[in-house]
Amino acid sequence: MKRRSALASIGAFSFGIGAKDAVPVEIEREPYKVKKQSLKTDIVVVGGGTAGVIAAIQAGRAGRKVILIENGSQLGGTTTTGGVAFPGIFFAWGKQVIGGIGWELVQEAVALNDDTLPDFSIPHGRHHPRHQVRLNGQLYAMLLEEKCLEAGVQLRFYETPIRLAFQNNTWTVETIGKGTHTEITCQQLIDCTGNGYAAHLAGYKLLREAETQPGTLMFQIGGYDFKSLDLKMIQTRYQEAISKGILVKTDFRNNIVGLLKSEGDNIQHILGADSTTSETHSLANIKGRTALLNTLRFLRTLPGLEKTRIIDMQNETGVRETYRIDGLYKITHEDYVTGKLFDDAVSYSYYPIDVHDENGVVPDHLKEGVVPSVPLRALIPKNSKNFLVAGRCLSSDRLANSALRVQASCMGMGQAAGAAAVLACKLNKTPGEVPMKDLRQLIAEHGGIVPGIA
Amino acid sequence: MNRCRVFFELIVLVLAVSAFRSDQPTRYFLYPTIALKPASVQSFTFEFDDELSDDTLFQNRSKEGYPVSYYRRLKASVCFDEKCRLLDVVIYWNITGRYLGFELPVKEFLSKSDHEPFTDEEYHRLNALLADGQSPLGNLSYEELVPRPYFSVKGIDAVTSATAKNVLDYIVKGAAYTTYKMWHFIYGPTKNRVEELTTKSLSPALVLKILESDDPSDKLWALNHINGFVKPDRALRDQLLDFINNSNFSLSERAIHAISAADLRSDSLQLSLLAKFNQADYSQKKLLIKKMNEAPFLNAEVKNNLADQLQKLNAELIGDVLGLYQKFAVKDLEICGKVSKLLHNENRFISQKALKFLENANPDDQVIAKEMADYRLRKP
Repeated sequence: MKRRSALASIGAFSFGIGAKDAVPVEIEREPYKVKKQSLKTDIVVVGGGTAGVIAAIQAGRAGRKVILIENGSQLGGTTTTGGVAFPGIFFAWGKQVIGGIGWELVQEAVALNDDTLPDFSIPHGRHHPRHQVRLNGQLYAMLLEEKCLEAGVQLRFYETPIRLAFQNNTWTVETIGKGTHTEITCQQLIDCTGNGYAAHLAGYKLLREAETQPGTLMFQIGGYDFKSLDLKMIQTRYQEAISKGILVKTDFRNNIVGLLKSEGDNIQHILGADSTTSETHSLANIKGRTALLNTLRFLRTLPGLEKTRIIDMQNETGVRETYRIDGLYKITHEDYVTGKLFDDAVSYSYYPIDVHDENGVVPDHLKEGVVPSVPLRALIPKNSKNFLVAGRCLSSDRLANSALRVQASCMGMGQAAGAAAVLACKLNKTPGEVPMKDLRQLIAEHGGIVPGIA
Repeated sequence: MNRCRVFFELIVLVLAVSAFRSDQPTRYFLYPTIALKPASVQSFTFEFDDELSDDTLFQNRSKEGYPVSYYRRLKASVCFDEKCRLLDVVIYWNITGRYLGFELPVKEFLSKSDHEPFTDEEYHRLNALLADGQSPLGNLSYEELVPRPYFSVKGIDAVTSATAKNVLDYIVKGAAYTTYKMWHFIYGPTKNRVEELTTKSLSPALVLKILESDDPSDKLWALNHINGFVKPDRALRDQLLDFINNSNFSLSERAIHAISAADLRSDSLQLSLLAKFNQADYSQKKLLIKKMNEAPFLNAEVKNNLADQLQKLNAELIGDVLGLYQKFAVKDLEICGKVSKLLHNENRFISQKALKFLENANPDDQVIAKEMADYRLRKP
């Protein structure tokens, strides 16, 4: 009798159950093995975040076989795992500028949660937060998953690429995951990692600023009555704690009142937060949680805040800025604020220039009527073939990127990239060679709003 | 030159002061939701959750019996740094809860921190600021209004609140607390009571009147108070259909939402929605199909017209139409025949949806059965 079986028998007897009737609860299994396999598909999307999901659904709905690789446990990225569940802005100056699959999913999440959409006829400019659609993030994640599966997208959670190779017009994507080691061959590849991670593995150049925007861990605190707090006293004690090194000034923008008033909503700043690798993302998560825990302990020492508690907290720190590709065209700040309409524009974007620093953020709003556009060339790395990016790692300078990175814009890009990859597959071309007329038509057929034709 | 200026300023001052010596109350109003004259006043008492002892809310009614506006007296102290001034003003609301205006009792005037009376320009500015229901004042505490050092701890730089700087855009200079107090009164519990009272008086005719307002928020209020509140008559239904178009998404989306399942018993309404569907953009097409799912039955012409469009709809909308057919157990051969044509679509996402539909419908037809069998063999 083997040792485990013997132990199981002893356990059964000790409860007075006859060996004859015992149901074995522990069975010896074959030793664990990493499952190696090769898969073939039309399009691989790396990253199941804001842009990646839309790219994958678009490609699937247009009839292509798609594999979506996501290194986390759910879809939606910043909107869901990051907890920034307000993906605006879809309307500008009284007109919808980003529609299609992203908007469809947002509307469905709103309806299924009995929420109401904002009044989009309210003027923009500094009032842009009024146009934010608040979503139930977890519901949205489930809807994304359902729509991907409906579109025939094969989802591979907990996997990450470790090698990319391009040969004979075919990409080979080698991934590893929990107990998996997979080699996927495909015609087209879309990098929606937000960090240009796949582009880097493919050998394309990436750009990054010396200093990047801080990240934010989203959470909610409660257990106090803000109106009854002695804010002056709290301010004083907060500054004392900073001067003694108990708290870090930049963790909450030196604004304890803001933290208490917002109850934690989008107020934390984690300097240098970077989600590119497991190590950098681990560090960003740890920094965010440490800052919150220290601040929670501090708050609970103050009159009126003794019962402060964490109501909710995201699993990951959201990251605003890391790497961008060096694309066929780099969208500049000037392009963005003047609303340049590119010949190869495939989607709109709308958001103020929005660079966060350690003191907070003062959005620089677009002038009335300005709606920037995104050219296809900004989604294609220089010297690449059969490769696209969508999302915040598109080719753009830092200021333009601070607005382009926002979720609705990434959804628009995701749909455009998905459509470009579909046509590239169909025509056996690289995305930069796809006829713009066909591309625009395909995006519009799937409800997307294309600059110049809508 | 200086003499002329002094003389001019004196005249302005005399005129300003004389305005407040008038026997008429001073009024600053915005355009109303309903431009009917008040003919009677009705009073309602509530236990308002605010600091005022006055618990009466007055409702102005037109001669037709429509509520046209509401008002309540705000008589309170505006205090800061242990100094107080009396604020005595009557606040008016539109029937949708939107701010309408304010009225100063005879010989009353508003003053700033230096006790200077408001100028006419400042009254107008105050009126405009109070009309902004989304003002950042709503998220500010009383203590955050005026820029000041937050703290003074030895060895630490004083920090001025960045938010307080921004507040200057939302207050009358020198009257931050007056602006704040009035704004919070306007958007406090009284507003909810106003809406509750109007809701009790709603009728299709009153909703139609509100929909005539030039203010988009009034229109949205009315559209949000149809489904579950009033049963639309022909005129209101036609008005709702007019709002469903591609020019203003919010109004269109709310108008679709305003249609109830019971309304969809009407064949003509279903056909009207079909006509809207044929002109709508993608976002609204989805909403209209979803609305059709609420109907107690599916009009035959709607059913057939949608089937005729299957070849030109996009993949997702095809799925929506097939979902609609499944909801209403549409299995007739004519429809199944049209769906079977989708089996030849080069987009496998579409052809597979068609196959799934046909498998569920299980039509008794040899031709369709062969199409399905051929499709399975092709395995796109």
